[in-house]
Amino acid sequence: MSVYEKIGGDGAVEAAVDIFYRKVLMDDRISDFFDTVDMDRQRAKQKAFLTMAFGGPNNYTGKDMREGHKHLNLTEEHFNAVAENLIATLQELSVPQEYIDEIVGICLSVKDDVLNK
Amino acid sequence: MTVVTYEGAQFPVADGETVLDALLRAGQVVPYGCRAGVCHSCMMSADDAAPVRQAQAGLSDTQKALNYFLSCQCQPASPLEVKVVNAVGEKKLVEVLEKTALSDTVYRLRLAPGLSYRPGQYVNLSRDAKLSRSYSLASLPTDPWLEFHIRHYPDGAFSSWIANELNAGDTLELQGPLGHCIYAAEANQPLLLLGTGTGLAPLWGIAREALAQGHTAPITLVISGRSLDDCYYREELLALAAAHDNVTVTWVLQEGEAAVQVEVADIYQYCKERFPELNGYKIYLCGAKTFVNKLRKQCFFAGAAVRDISTDVFLQAGSL
Repeated sequence: MSVYEKIGGDGAVEAAVDIFYRKVLMDDRISDFFDTVDMDRQRAKQKAFLTMAFGGPNNYTGKDMREGHKHLNLTEEHFNAVAENLIATLQELSVPQEYIDEIVGICLSVKDDVLNK
Repeated sequence: MTVVTYEGAQFPVADGETVLDALLRAGQVVPYGCRAGVCHSCMMSADDAAPVRQAQAGLSDTQKALNYFLSCQCQPASPLEVKVVNAVGEKKLVEVLEKTALSDTVYRLRLAPGLSYRPGQYVNLSRDAKLSRSYSLASLPTDPWLEFHIRHYPDGAFSSWIANELNAGDTLELQGPLGHCIYAAEANQPLLLLGTGTGLAPLWGIAREALAQGHTAPITLVISGRSLDDCYYREELLALAAAHDNVTVTWVLQEGEAAVQVEVADIYQYCKERFPELNGYKIYLCGAKTFVNKLRKQCFFAGAAVRDISTDVFLQAGSL
């Protein structure tokens, strides 16, 4: 069973997405990447990211991750900022630590692709 | 096996095949992304809600009300017609029933009815093939006309044509409806309607639609303007508030004197102080781009969900 199913599937992602999106928009280290006029589309992107991070249904490949991020010239600091906001979101929703660890593990597994290393 | 109609042509859909796959297989160009129902890139709208209901998981109430669905999740059992979301549709000629000046700069146009729409949506109005502008509907489908509020910019080609040349009995071209700034809320969800200038037009439709549908929670209308002279429909709004216990109207002005239901304040500061907590609210923001974009972020930071914020951004003539 994936952590996505354990924490409640799509309902859990729905509960998390606005909290997470609000946090990254308020974080000066990374807000510029997320600050767009089309908030609906940005929210959908955040939801797709969270679904993937929770191990839910997605068809993203390492190549997609690389292609989708390489023009942004992201650094370790950016990656960590996103991870911190994700962890803070999950803690706010009282997600058990073992599941948070599992989710962080999924994020770390795509880190090299996201940072184009 | 069934068929899907798209851009005037019919395409076969095999059993168990999705609308998206059927269109892609036939070589049609349709935007898509994750193919897992998550990214919403392949969202389309259908002529009928029933065949696409199982493909609406994760969509907002507004999107469901407009028969939007995710084509990658839809395996239709019966024929249906689909469109890319916000395709403009056919132009038709409509007659001007009435033209009235509401203020020094705003005209009200009432056109012959006969359009299927939701209050708060907008249409493109055209003088001819070269001159066309978008305007929001201020009427309800039950009204015997389509109503628009048109700000006259002295340098604006289209609004000057409306102000100076168009008369009752003339015709103009109409294309639409478009947009998704519509009433789609629970009856007990508080509504906050914020508008500036002719942003009142869609709000006037949305507020009356909410009341017509039996909305019980508070409906708070805030109209922002430079001075009271800028604000049209004052009596109509006061009458609406007087007739409904759950409706309040406040004008927030840059200049002038405070009075009953009139405040002189910076609209952004006013909203911060007056609405510090918007969790659970359904919010409508209509008017100039800066106004809408700034308040949308502000409302989101105050706790409103992204999906509970509907917007209608007005682009000034010439800025397109």
